[in-house]
Amino acid sequence: MSGSGGKPGRGPERAGGYVFVAPVLVLTLVFSVVPLLYVLRRSLYVGNVFDLDLRFAGLDNYREVLTGDGGPALLNTAVYTVGFVLVSMLLGMGVALLLDVRLPGLAQVRAFFIIPVVVPAVATALIWFTLFQPNSGLFNRVLGGVGLPQVSLDDQHTAMLAVIAFGAWQFFGEVVILYLAALKGLPGDVLEAAEVDGAGAWQRLRYIRLPLLRQQTALIAVVATLTGLQAFTQIKVLTNGGPQGATRTALYYVYEQGFNLGAGGSSGRADAMAMILFVVSLVVTLVQLAIIGRAAR
Amino acid sequence: MRMSVPAKVAVYALVVVSVLVVMFPLIWMVLSAFKTNGEIVDPDAPLVPSSWQWSNLATAWHAAPFGRFFLNTALFSVVTTVGQVATGMLAGYAFAMFDFPGKRVLFYLVLSGLMIPFTVVLLPVVDLLAHLHWVDTYQGLIVPNLASALGAFLFRQFFLTAPAELGEAARIDGAGVWRVFWSVYRPLATPMVASFTIIAFLQNWNNFLFPLIVTNSQRLMMVSQGLTVFQAQVNKVSYNVLMAGSLISVVPILVVAMIAQRRIVDGLALGAVK
Repeated sequence: MSGSGGKPGRGPERAGGYVFVAPVLVLTLVFSVVPLLYVLRRSLYVGNVFDLDLRFAGLDNYREVLTGDGGPALLNTAVYTVGFVLVSMLLGMGVALLLDVRLPGLAQVRAFFIIPVVVPAVATALIWFTLFQPNSGLFNRVLGGVGLPQVSLDDQHTAMLAVIAFGAWQFFGEVVILYLAALKGLPGDVLEAAEVDGAGAWQRLRYIRLPLLRQQTALIAVVATLTGLQAFTQIKVLTNGGPQGATRTALYYVYEQGFNLGAGGSSGRADAMAMILFVVSLVVTLVQLAIIGRAAR
Repeated sequence: MRMSVPAKVAVYALVVVSVLVVMFPLIWMVLSAFKTNGEIVDPDAPLVPSSWQWSNLATAWHAAPFGRFFLNTALFSVVTTVGQVATGMLAGYAFAMFDFPGKRVLFYLVLSGLMIPFTVVLLPVVDLLAHLHWVDTYQGLIVPNLASALGAFLFRQFFLTAPAELGEAARIDGAGVWRVFWSVYRPLATPMVASFTIIAFLQNWNNFLFPLIVTNSQRLMMVSQGLTVFQAQVNKVSYNVLMAGSLISVVPILVVAMIAQRRIVDGLALGAVK
């Protein structure tokens, strides 16, 4: 962190330092750090819709969140995030291993997998909204064709499955790109030596490549987890958190409580849930920094 | 690696399957956008439209002010991306190259911005914008998005590896702080600028939650939020027009993605430090 050697903090450089960092610093303070302190403070108070008559309430908001709809919302977030991370990582790693094979044409195919990552998620979520339509949607045509029960966005038991499927489809291309970069970094001589020694493709994968990728896998899992915790678009477009709260995640709870104050929402509860979400994300980010720190050593 | 013919065939077959997995929703969108609504809701109708209904595109285009949505999205994305690149590069450069009292503390403050997801501070930021009377204005949309802590972090990492001698030489020749940055180090960072720009641009273009809570008039709406309004406006069962609208909204970014494919891949690879 200290400046690299031989760069004295001369007068103009000192002034330059403050001027150069000022825009990012001021905007970060005004739109991230200070608002976070507000969230923390307000999560400890209760008041009416317009924040008048605020009264200190200790952990009451947190208790209300956890005993009310917030508890199931946190559980939904956990279910969504675990499902999302598992499916997108397995798919992404599998496709990356395929595309890493040295055969003509495979390098060009990579471009397809970035499409869901870069086009507006609202548009692709609308597509999935029609894919899941009862009877006529493609998924339900296929499921019906092979005699399986339909997956519906209006069904409490299957809505979460649909939301996870969309999330994983939308994100796994990024996992592909991250794994391809990691695979490129593997030491070629080690793999060659193993091949010469007669290790088959499966053995090389199981005993050499996957262990070498462990750190990258952990890092990608962290990125995926942070993405999963922030899922919003598909829930807004596909289910609005329903049916009966079956897909209401922690973030969606914050959105509902915070922006439907007239309809029984409470900014205290929204802020308490936002703090919970912050602490969870912070823990995940600290894990990430620890991994990066270990990699740098 | 030498592979047997059956192994090669298996690899290609699996690749085709995985491309289908990623592409079928988009293919479904295009096919549905040109069907009659009767064909869409009929479970026994063939997947390909019997006659291509080009008028669906016109119907969708007129059902919502897409031209306005695109203009707003372009304005927002260009201004915020330029801001994020410029402020991020300046701060990253200063944190890497300069010594000044308090540098460490200030760096950790900026880094803390990286650890506070925007979604957590949603409510107080909107309250702040309301106090400023910035809700439902361009400045309310743009100003909070002008800086990127991630950008500052990435550019700092980049400039830490830049050779110090170049700047020393320029300084001996009489170049000031700004000249050294602008003429010596900024050009070095061009590849990094390109990768960060494309990723920031895509994120800004697709931003949904922030515009959703800060704007409510169609005059200011961006494509993503506009699509949800469009969804509510076209009768909920006009799936063909719904898909035509989705098609319209993904085309510009698909063109960008095709042109900037390599840069996007490089930029996404930066994402591991996000």
